[in-house]
Amino acid sequence: MRDIFVLAEHRRGELRDITIEMLTKGRELAECCGVPLTAVLLGHGVDRFAEKLASYADTVVLIDHPQLENFNSETYQAALSPLLEDRQPFLTLIGHTAFGIDVAPRLSAQSNIPLATDCIDIRCEDDRVFAVRQIYGGKLNAEVSYENAPQYLATIRPASFPVREYGLKGEIVRTDCPALKTPEREFLEYVEAPAGEVDITQADVIVAVGRGIKEKETLPLVEELAKSLGGVLACSRPIVDAGWLPKDRQVGSSGKTVKPKLYVAIGISGAFQHITGMKGSDTIVAINKDPNAPVFNEADYGIVGDLFKVLPTLKEKIAELKSG
Amino acid sequence: MEIVVCMKRVPETGDAEIAVDSTGRDIVRDRLTYDINESDNYALEEAVLLKEKFGGTVTLVSMGPPETDETLRMGLAKGGDVAVRLWDHRFARSDGHATAFVLAKAIREMEFDLVLTGCIATDDGRTQVGVTIAALLGIPHATYVMKVDIEDGIATVQSELEGGLIAVNRMKTPALFTIQTGINEPRYPSLISIKKATAKEIRTLTLDDLGLEASSAGEEGSKTKIVKLTPPPVGKRAEILEGAPEVVSARLTEIFKEKGMI
Amino acid sequence: MDFDLTQDQRLVQEMVRKFAVNELEPVASEIDKTGEFPWSNIKKMAELGLLGVIVPEEYGGAGLDFLSLAIVIEEISKVCASTGVIVAVNNSLAAYPILAFGDVKQRQKYLPVLARAEQIGAIGLTEPNAGSDVAGLESTAVVDGDYYRLNGTKRFITNGVEAGVYVIFAYTDKTKGHKGLSAFIVDGDTPGFSRGDHEDLMGLRATGNCELIFEDAKVPKENLLGEEGQGFKIGMHTLDVSRIDIGAQSVGIAQGALEASVKYAKERTAFGKPIAQFQLIQAMVAEMATQIEAARFLVYHAAYLKDKQVPRFSKEASMAKWFAAEACLNAVRKAVQVHGGYGYTKDYPVERYYRDAKCMEIYEGTTEIQKIVIARSLLKD
Repeated sequence: MRDIFVLAEHRRGELRDITIEMLTKGRELAECCGVPLTAVLLGHGVDRFAEKLASYADTVVLIDHPQLENFNSETYQAALSPLLEDRQPFLTLIGHTAFGIDVAPRLSAQSNIPLATDCIDIRCEDDRVFAVRQIYGGKLNAEVSYENAPQYLATIRPASFPVREYGLKGEIVRTDCPALKTPEREFLEYVEAPAGEVDITQADVIVAVGRGIKEKETLPLVEELAKSLGGVLACSRPIVDAGWLPKDRQVGSSGKTVKPKLYVAIGISGAFQHITGMKGSDTIVAINKDPNAPVFNEADYGIVGDLFKVLPTLKEKIAELKSG
Repeated sequence: MEIVVCMKRVPETGDAEIAVDSTGRDIVRDRLTYDINESDNYALEEAVLLKEKFGGTVTLVSMGPPETDETLRMGLAKGGDVAVRLWDHRFARSDGHATAFVLAKAIREMEFDLVLTGCIATDDGRTQVGVTIAALLGIPHATYVMKVDIEDGIATVQSELEGGLIAVNRMKTPALFTIQTGINEPRYPSLISIKKATAKEIRTLTLDDLGLEASSAGEEGSKTKIVKLTPPPVGKRAEILEGAPEVVSARLTEIFKEKGMI
Repeated sequence: MDFDLTQDQRLVQEMVRKFAVNELEPVASEIDKTGEFPWSNIKKMAELGLLGVIVPEEYGGAGLDFLSLAIVIEEISKVCASTGVIVAVNNSLAAYPILAFGDVKQRQKYLPVLARAEQIGAIGLTEPNAGSDVAGLESTAVVDGDYYRLNGTKRFITNGVEAGVYVIFAYTDKTKGHKGLSAFIVDGDTPGFSRGDHEDLMGLRATGNCELIFEDAKVPKENLLGEEGQGFKIGMHTLDVSRIDIGAQSVGIAQGALEASVKYAKERTAFGKPIAQFQLIQAMVAEMATQIEAARFLVYHAAYLKDKQVPRFSKEASMAKWFAAEACLNAVRKAVQVHGGYGYTKDYPVERYYRDAKCMEIYEGTTEIQKIVIARSLLKD
């Protein structure tokens, strides 16, 4: 019987959400295909995660080794390859995260397992696996098939699958770690992003700008709008890359995750990396000139229009309402 | 310091409307403009900055059809010294692994201290090729690199993780880094460097030149294939406010008031 | 006949296009409003070699051809006509005559300075009482020991306020008619030279336009450009070259107007659909596009002739300049029309294009003068 494997992801003492998302989906796939689900947990002193994983998986393979304490693509791959060689799971899921995409291609190349990355959906039909991924910044979906192979590998985009509990009690199997060479890459430390003057995660109202504002000179106008609503200015990644706002204002997967009462997205197309940082907001308003911008799928209210026209009139109306 | 930069020529689709073509497996390309993949541009700039600091040469490598020469030429104008284009019609429709396989085959013949690639291609978004090349070349790698420091053959790099957290890693060169946007400020090539770029070499290598079997490249060599392209399913659609700026602004202001924001 | 740009020219076009959109466009509207001379634009452009496109590399320039210069000016003017003309003047009205007629010392002294924009250049031909009528110029230059004493006033001088190197035309011998006109290189700190107030123009407002006043200004003898009496020839030859650039500027403004119109027409709805679907709008866009295309080819052809070093190309340069100005004026008028009421406000860039465009048929030789140049070349025996 050939299982579905899910690689657990953890960092600095916390199990990351993607793990549970993959396990939920993994459980569903396993039941559909009538195969066991196995969670793989690599690390050092991470036993406390095993129980949670066992509530989803039939088996938790726990490999504990000092050299696995900090994530390292070489050591992780060196531990996984023999395991996969030995157990031959037909499908292995890894998170499409900074860690996941650091190890999955290496694992794929070394163990010769075909890999599809950043999958937002995955399904098994008989012995074949099909995945769905997004291309062109989310404007199109691509259905991907794997050529017949003994095993398949996929990285899964975070927040693609809802989570639920299964309350199972899988078996936790402590497994020996294969001999690990000293990796060529040495992990030194983590560094926190420096705290800025404003903590946008604490704001009730956030007005965020993206590439659509075109010029740095538009920022003061947007900041005024933010202030008039009692909120703060934030942005998507390209604005930080261009040096128009500091990193602490960035909302998105490589920035901050925010859940304000009101999130106004101005000139933001809605690429996944940004959406993931704000989709938990109570009310989302989007202003974008492209009616097909993915952001409108996330927003509660939308204005398809030229922000350079709308912002000044919006500012006016708010001022009128406040004084009137 | 010898640096190899992997570049991809991609269509500019940010503002453009994209339509699926008649095969159902690709997009309609005739109205699209092309440019260097955004994070590759940052990788190129990083390579040129390192060259300016340490001396050496920057070699650009790209797998692509003849039109790619224009992008490579611009790369030479921005500071690349030599360019190599890998192309064969049999390379078409390569998946991430097949692409990396071909690139690695070419790079293996080169002298290099570093290989720099962009962290993600804006067309297929695979985020896969760089790390695969490193694995095939047997060199250490780091991804989403935001800072590169090199001293005496040892590279210390900062990789960006989620939430702005940074992981610092150290390794000996030769090594491969996938470069994140924002690491530097890519330059415009001056008129003189554009002129100089004409004299620089763009070598072309085919499947045979690389000594590859057709079965290891392109669609034949790809173990994942695109079956079809579809527009994404419409999620929760926003309630679109209609009308002139005054009208929608008034309505939106009401909504803000209803939600207690004013 | 090869209608394609060379690879170099295509790369130049791509680079300048991106640069213009990212760096020049964001401030274009502001400098038009304030009239501020765009030094930050100029510094950035100088680093890329744009202020000395046709200055040879040995003098610190990029050493490119005149077609490349036309492309540069078109792409810049598409987003900012003021910046476009500053670049055009620096290259073809200040640097070019020094390159073509200056002696080695003059070239070595002034060309690197202009190419690197350490100083900006300007040309002083037009006077309060003489625009088209070059024979009617009143400025005089009289030998006085090691100097020429320069007297007179120049009006409507682009770059006048901020320039440090001027090419000035004055009569050394009025009795010889136009053969008595001479050209001089005048430094900005010349004793007896002063600048008048910044002109309040309809358009091209960020070009530091002003009067130049010479009151017994002491211009060193070695600053005579070419020989005494060569001034008319220098002036006419320089204008042949600069007319290509102003033609390019017209094409750029027109192209900007066209692209703005296309964008607006696709977004703006009326009667239930985008106005781009209405035939009268389509007709306007078609007319604009075709005239711009024709104008561009005339400009490119004139540049090509200059690059080929054909001895006479005045006719082609004048055709290009005049036709491109017409195409530009038609385009901006239609562009404002496509935008309707919004085109009449300062919220959209087309009203700036409209104001900038009018100058195209006036300066560098009015449309009327261009027609005379063309006609003469055909009707003279």
